[in-house]
Amino acid sequence: MNKIKNPYRPIKAEVIDVITETENIKTIRMKPSEEISFKTGQFIELTVPGVGEAPFTPSSRPSIKDMLEVSVMKVGKVTRAIHELKKGDIVGIRGPFGNGYPMEDFKGKEILIVGGGCGFAPLRSLMYEFFEHEGEFKKLFFRGGCKTSKNFLYRSELEQWAKRKDLNLELTVDEVNSEWNWKVGVVTTILDDVDMDYSSGIAVVCGPPIMMKFATKKLLDMGFKESNLYLSMERNMSCGIGKCGHCRLGIYYTCKDGPVFRYDMIKDYPDIWD
Amino acid sequence: MNEIYFVTTDNFKKLLSELLADYETFISSQKGGLQYFETLDKENIKEINPFGHRTFEPLKNFFFRAREIVAEDFEDSIPADRKRPLCIVGAKSCDLKGFLVEDLVFMNHDYTDPSYKLYREKSLIISTDCTDVLDTCFCTALGLDPFPKENFDLNISPAGNGYIFEVGSEKGQKLVSDMKSLFETPEDKHLKERDSRRQTVKESVNKNIKDNDIPTYTSYSGIIERNYNSDIWKDEANTCVECGACNTVCPTCHCFLLYDQQDESKLARLRVWDSCLIKEFALVAAGVNPRPFLWMRLRNRFEKKFDFFHKIANFYACTGCGRCILACPGKIDIRRVIRRLVENE
Repeated sequence: MNKIKNPYRPIKAEVIDVITETENIKTIRMKPSEEISFKTGQFIELTVPGVGEAPFTPSSRPSIKDMLEVSVMKVGKVTRAIHELKKGDIVGIRGPFGNGYPMEDFKGKEILIVGGGCGFAPLRSLMYEFFEHEGEFKKLFFRGGCKTSKNFLYRSELEQWAKRKDLNLELTVDEVNSEWNWKVGVVTTILDDVDMDYSSGIAVVCGPPIMMKFATKKLLDMGFKESNLYLSMERNMSCGIGKCGHCRLGIYYTCKDGPVFRYDMIKDYPDIWD
Repeated sequence: MNEIYFVTTDNFKKLLSELLADYETFISSQKGGLQYFETLDKENIKEINPFGHRTFEPLKNFFFRAREIVAEDFEDSIPADRKRPLCIVGAKSCDLKGFLVEDLVFMNHDYTDPSYKLYREKSLIISTDCTDVLDTCFCTALGLDPFPKENFDLNISPAGNGYIFEVGSEKGQKLVSDMKSLFETPEDKHLKERDSRRQTVKESVNKNIKDNDIPTYTSYSGIIERNYNSDIWKDEANTCVECGACNTVCPTCHCFLLYDQQDESKLARLRVWDSCLIKEFALVAAGVNPRPFLWMRLRNRFEKKFDFFHKIANFYACTGCGRCILACPGKIDIRRVIRRLVENE
C-alpha cells in the first residue's frame, strides 16, 4: 500500500529551461520543490496550472533527484500549454507512477532497444541507466526510426552515442529531408543485423502504436521470446493510481500495472495496438 | 451470529434524535411510490419509513460524490468539505454490495483516495430490509438477498410494534452499548415475523427473475471472453445515446476524470464522475482511440462488471439493483444483455 497522503496533489516545480528539439517537440527541464526519485520507465503527471495535466515519462537521468526533463510533442490542449512554458514558470508534478523497466531482470543479458519517434524520450532515460551501469549488461543494441530526418528527436545526442564502444547503434528515417548519413526505411528493416542470441535476449520497444505492432511481429519472427519483449503501452492515464478507469487494458490499469508490459501479459487482448 | 435486539417505534425515533447530534443524517423516504434519501431533521423524524425498496439514487453518491475537490493549490491537505460524519439510514442490500467495489477501488487498490476513505470510515451505516420490490429488482440472481447480511453497522427489520436491530460491526455494537436503555431482548414472534417477511420478499425477487428469464451468477463465467466479438454488442448499442445515465445510477461504477479550475486566488482539482460510454473516454494524445465505436464502449461497461472485477477480486460488479434498466432512454436492459450473453454459446 502506497502511503502518499494526497495522491491527487501536484508538487510545485520550476521550469528552468525549455529546449526546442524539433518542429513540434520541446524538452522542458524542471526543478521540483521536493526531490523526486523515479525509476526509468515510470511516468509523471505534469500539471499546467489552470489548464490540466497529462502523463509523460521523464527522459532524464533517474539518478538525478533535483531535476527532471520531459520531451513533449504538441498534440492537444495540455501539450499546447506546455509548449508555451517559459523559464521561471511554475508547473505541478504528481508521481512517479507505474512500474518502470525491470532493470534487475536485464542484468547480464543481451539487450536490443527499438525506438520510434517520440518514443525516444523514455528510452533516453533507459539508455542513461544502462550507461551508468556499464558492464552489467552483456551487449547493447539501439535501433531508432523516425518519419523524417529533420524531426529526429535527440539526433545529435544519438550520434554521440554511436561512438560508444558499449553500444551498437543504427538509425533510419522514412523520409530524408535534411543531411542524413544513416539508413532509409522503417525501423523493422534495420533489425536483421543485430548480432545477438534472440532466444535469450531482451527487446525493449517504445514508439507509436503502429510501429510497436510491426516491431513486435518482426521481433517474434526473429525468435525473441514473448516474455522477453517489453512494450510501453499508451493509454489515457489520468489519475495515475488505478482508480479513474480510463487506461484499462484487460485486467490491468496501464498507469498502475504498466506502462511497461511484457508482451506475454497482454498479447491475448484483441485491441492492444489501437 | 450477530447480536439481535428489539427497539420500539418510539425508541427508534429517540435513537435517531440522538444520532442527529453527531451525524449529518440521511434517511430513505418514500415519495410518489419511490424511495429517495432525504436529510433527516427534527421535523420529519415523526414520519420516517426507511423500508420499501432501494432508493432512486445509489448509496455511492455520499462517498464517491459526483463532484469533489480533491486538491487545492499545491497543498498536501485533504480539502474534503463534509464537516460532520455521515449517517445513512435505509441503505439496502444491493447498495451495500456496491461498497465491495467502491471500497476496493478507492481504499484497497495500492493507493487510497483520501476523501472517500475519510467519509467512509467516519460514517455510520444503518441498513434496512427490503419490504417490497420493484419489477426491475434482480439481486437474488447475483447471489444477494433483499435483506442485508454484511457491510452494515446496524440493520433494521420491521417487526410487531417496533424493529429488530442486528449489529454488524464494532461501531454498531458501541452505539448499542451507549444507548443500552433503548435496546430490548427480541421475542421469538418478532424474529419469526422478520424471517417470514424476508422469505416473502425474496420470493417476489425470485418471481421477477423467473418472469424475466434472468440467468443467475453461477452461469456468468466466461460470458465476456466468449462473446467478445459477438454481434450482441452492436445490436444492443443501436439504441445507446451515450448519455451515461447507466453510469451515474450504478452503485458500482467508479470512473472519474480530474478537472482543474483556477480563479484568481486558487487552483482547484476536481474529481468528477465520468462515463465510459462517451467517445473521448479512452482517447489518447494524437487522436488514437482504443474504443472508437459505441458498441466497444458498451462492451467495456459489461467487461468491467462481469470480467475485470471477477478476475481481480472474484466478484461480479453488478448488484441487481436494476437502476440502469429504468435510467436508460435507449431501453438497454442489463437483464436481457446478460441473458443473451449466457445463452450465446
